[in-house]
Amino acid sequence: MVMQTEVRTTTRKPRRKFSILDTIRFIILTIGAIAMLFPLLWMVTIALKGNNDVFKIPPEWFPRELHWSNFVTGTREINFWQTFGNSMFIAVVCTIGQIASSVLVGYGLARLSFPGRKLWFSLFVGSLMLPGFVGMIPLFNLYTSLGWYDSWLPIIVPAFFGNATFSFLYVQYLKTISVSFDEAAKIDGASDFYILMKVLVPMTTPVIMTMVIFSFQGAWNQYLEPLIYIIDPSKWTLSLAMASYKGTYATAWNLFMAADLIYILPMLLIFFFGQKFFMQGLGSVNSASLK
Amino acid sequence: MTVSKKKLRGWAKGYLFILPSIIGFSVFVAYPLLSSIYYALTEWSGYDKPRFVGFDNFKYMFTEDPAFWPSVRATLYFVIMSVPLSLILGLLLAMLLNKSLPGIKWFRTIYYLPTVVPSIATLTLWLFIYQPQYGLANSLLRLLGLPEGTWLTSETTALPSIVLIGLWQVGSGVIIFLSGLQSVPQELYEAAEVDGAVRWRMALHITIPMITPILFLQLILGIIGAFQAFNQVQVLTGGGPNFSTSLLNFKIYNDAFNGRMFGYSIAEVWVLFVIIMIFTALTYRYSNRFVYYESDNSK
Repeated sequence: MVMQTEVRTTTRKPRRKFSILDTIRFIILTIGAIAMLFPLLWMVTIALKGNNDVFKIPPEWFPRELHWSNFVTGTREINFWQTFGNSMFIAVVCTIGQIASSVLVGYGLARLSFPGRKLWFSLFVGSLMLPGFVGMIPLFNLYTSLGWYDSWLPIIVPAFFGNATFSFLYVQYLKTISVSFDEAAKIDGASDFYILMKVLVPMTTPVIMTMVIFSFQGAWNQYLEPLIYIIDPSKWTLSLAMASYKGTYATAWNLFMAADLIYILPMLLIFFFGQKFFMQGLGSVNSASLK
Repeated sequence: MTVSKKKLRGWAKGYLFILPSIIGFSVFVAYPLLSSIYYALTEWSGYDKPRFVGFDNFKYMFTEDPAFWPSVRATLYFVIMSVPLSLILGLLLAMLLNKSLPGIKWFRTIYYLPTVVPSIATLTLWLFIYQPQYGLANSLLRLLGLPEGTWLTSETTALPSIVLIGLWQVGSGVIIFLSGLQSVPQELYEAAEVDGAVRWRMALHITIPMITPILFLQLILGIIGAFQAFNQVQVLTGGGPNFSTSLLNFKIYNDAFNGRMFGYSIAEVWVLFVIIMIFTALTYRYSNRFVYYESDNSK
């Protein structure tokens, strides 16, 4: 199976321009697309409304005047930008840790031979099937006894010890690259680390980009770990802040929606600029895991 | 048997590369898993030392805890509702999005878009959507002249409302199925066309069998994921009304970090774990026979 199943448009045969079936398909897809977009569009209109316009019955579907200042007021009141910075820092560090460790581990598993390689590989992959919450409480106890409670360490440190999904993905991807590249470099006297960094990593940028995107998304979205470990509001992540301020903002939906939109924004930007990698990534996760 | 020094160094190098994951696996997977076997049999608040109590936790869980069985019921209901619905919807949308059409790229982007929205942003958004007076859901129903819905406020509709949010984020499943559909060899369709097969028969006899491995994998992962749902309950309902949305994972969190019953919640973790294993095993047993593996694909 091809690793990067790129989402392409299938052209089966030159056909009549637009059959009845295609028209039906188009109509169903349009209705579905409206349903998908509607909540987000509603969110944008609320975010732009004045304080009292939110609670009008019947509702105004379009705001009479656009209150762009909501984006300023909405983010001022809850210490938003500090929290935003916290989330960004955590997400970037976690991404670096996960990618670096997973690439190393992936290389070891795919390219080096040593006894127990298969066993470790199946243990790592098997751990993916294990529900995440199984370790929650003993790990909480461990981190607390290390004095990591109310800090970012329980979130950041594990990222540097390999991510089973990403290592697995990298192993599968490396398998599609001929070992002759490694051997050529080895004859020239290159070390394994050099081969990995200078030969293989440049050849595997598509899969690494995919991993970066999904790693960042995972870190940006995570909620349970921050909820358990971080108490001090100045250390909160955005997911924590938005979840707790939903009550504070019960009467100011417009401000909440404005802040929520800025919370979404980094993911939207990544999505629009890295759409190819999202699509490729889901495809390759898919075909890799079926091998 | 002696191993040459060179070989030993090669082995050491291999272990050096995979060391991060060995440590990660031991500390973050094996240690908590094994230690929790013991903790499940203790009374432990998290502050004091665990006190061994045998199977008391399980006895209390099965016979006395008023929230346990309603939580099991809610969890099973949630899994049985959400997993098949998102699989079927995802597959249908993927089939609709598979072949070319004007604006097909836009459609794919739009269907994927909701999955990019962070979980907490999604849930807080839907909290407002479901708000009875001013929320989008009831506003739309009123606009269409339909009776208002109770959404998160009633025992019967709260859990389905949570499932609906999951369906809004069906996009990643759609893309996964789509990539599966596109890897179905075109020759199969061409051959079928020569034989005069009609479209829906091709779908039934070629497309579906060819993507059963993906369907199966998504089913298993979907089950494991759905059993672990937590954010929805924590943000939207807090388990209510009347335990109707008290999913087990939420109850576990709540018992541990609000009730300070670490030992007891670890016992609950094990019960949930066993339920997941039983579900996965049953799924494996009964659906694997429908899964079609290309014989030349076994590398």
